[in-house]
Amino acid sequence: MLFNGQVTVVSKDAIVIQAIPIGGGMLPQDSTVEEIRAIPGVSAVTPVLFVTSVGSQMLIQAVPVNFTMGIPVEDWELALGPIALKGNGHLPANDSSSEIVAGGSLADQYDWTVGTEIQVNGYKLHVSGVLDTRMALLSRCLVMPLRLAQSIYNYPQMVNIIAVKPVQNVPQQNLTEAIKSDKKIINVNALTETQRNDIIQPILEELQTWTIGTEAVVFIISLILVMTVTVMSVSERRRDFATLDAMGAPASYVFRVVIIETSLIGVLGGVIGIALGSLAAIVLASLYTSIPVALFFPSIFEIVPPLYMLEMFTAIVGICCVGGVIPAANAMRMRIAEVLRAEY
Amino acid sequence: MKIRTVNLTRSFRVGSSEITAVKATNLEINEPKLVTIIGPSGSGKSTLLNLIGLNDYPTSGEVFIDDSNTSQLSGSERRKIRGARIGFVFQTFNLFPTLSALENVELPMSLVNKSQKEQRERAMKLLETVGLARRHDHRPKQLSMGEMQRVAIARALANKPEMIIADEPTGELDSATAKEIISLLQDINERDKTMVVVATHDEKIIDAADLVYTMQDGQLKPKRGSE
Repeated sequence: MLFNGQVTVVSKDAIVIQAIPIGGGMLPQDSTVEEIRAIPGVSAVTPVLFVTSVGSQMLIQAVPVNFTMGIPVEDWELALGPIALKGNGHLPANDSSSEIVAGGSLADQYDWTVGTEIQVNGYKLHVSGVLDTRMALLSRCLVMPLRLAQSIYNYPQMVNIIAVKPVQNVPQQNLTEAIKSDKKIINVNALTETQRNDIIQPILEELQTWTIGTEAVVFIISLILVMTVTVMSVSERRRDFATLDAMGAPASYVFRVVIIETSLIGVLGGVIGIALGSLAAIVLASLYTSIPVALFFPSIFEIVPPLYMLEMFTAIVGICCVGGVIPAANAMRMRIAEVLRAEY
Repeated sequence: MKIRTVNLTRSFRVGSSEITAVKATNLEINEPKLVTIIGPSGSGKSTLLNLIGLNDYPTSGEVFIDDSNTSQLSGSERRKIRGARIGFVFQTFNLFPTLSALENVELPMSLVNKSQKEQRERAMKLLETVGLARRHDHRPKQLSMGEMQRVAIARALANKPEMIIADEPTGELDSATAKEIISLLQDINERDKTMVVVATHDEKIIDAADLVYTMQDGQLKPKRGSE
């Protein structure tokens, strides 16, 4: 998590989803930073320029997948947490006008290594290091000195998010109130870590409602499909069941055969379905983000968590068992003479 | 095993009309003989076999097996009798397509909880008896019609039944193969002292039979050697 344990300050009309500022205007870097630094209870202040999309055009995407973060290099660890670089990389100097650090996924996608020259908005930049992190946002990020980012994206002396670290034992809530009530700091909003996480909560809840609804519909459709398939399979094998009955097989035997068959179909279908579903998930993710499918494979268990796979598998086997009960009961009640007569 | 039917009647409702397939039939077989029931299609032969094989319930009348009235029996008791004392051979063989010949023969034994070893030994022996030991691992699809019927006969014999009920066992076979099947049924009847009741059109079976009945419009009449 970026800006761990810190308060974030953004423009009044911006929203922050976890660590990403969305919408809103820019903040004047120097005056805002200095005013916040003067508030009692503030331990450190990190100005950050956060830009979505890496490339020659700065587009606001529905699903941003590439980011640039401009942060004063001495504050990188404060903002991003411990920084590990792959291979022989190094952090750029704070006054560097060309060195940047690239996220692992971006570097893999474009085949960047230390020393690779890239071009952003007409600026020739050099990759001085590749971030070794599993954090999704950082792995798709270009991190560079703040001034360099401000030059490249043409935001001189402007930032759009400021991370504020409170002094130990000063509650974040107190700090946000102090920032918001400071009359010298205008048009800003300050959010605690909990508040910026909570912003996404209603969206997540709405999504969850939709997910539950979709799951219920899929569950019912699956149940109907499994029952239809089983009913067809049972009716196609009426003669087999009648023959078993004629041989003296107890009714429970036929019931057991049908249930075992549908369970096996569930197990096989579950394994194949989860494999194909997971593949479809990363193909869709790749289509949405333009990140090659191969880059998603190492994180397949993050995209489709094993616990979710297990839940799905259990649900599929359950659906097949429940879906098999009625046809199995029908198979059990068949009158053999009628079936055998109908066969001739 | 002794079979006796008293005023056995079986009717079916088809739409608004009622069809009586078997009419007040009295039949008595007291010895393990080869019995044939002949008659045109739809005359009620199969219905009669299903009634005496306890596959069906009469509309009225009774079926006695060894003097006990089967109409008093529950479904599971009837199943037990079918599994242990009666073997069925069908015109269309009714083998399980996913099982090998050997497994098809083993199946009735697995239903009466015989040990795996016992099942295997007896099934192999029965396949030898019907001349198919070498093809024990073949699935029905890989067998000829005659071979399939021989596997079906071996399966019917699996639990050493006292009676074999065969419904048109040669109906799907050419005459040479039919002759082999008839001779097999005759052997079973004579060697194992198993009662064999066959519904058929086949003249060759009629010639081989001890007792011959004709069935016409649901009515059974003795034709030859009746008791």
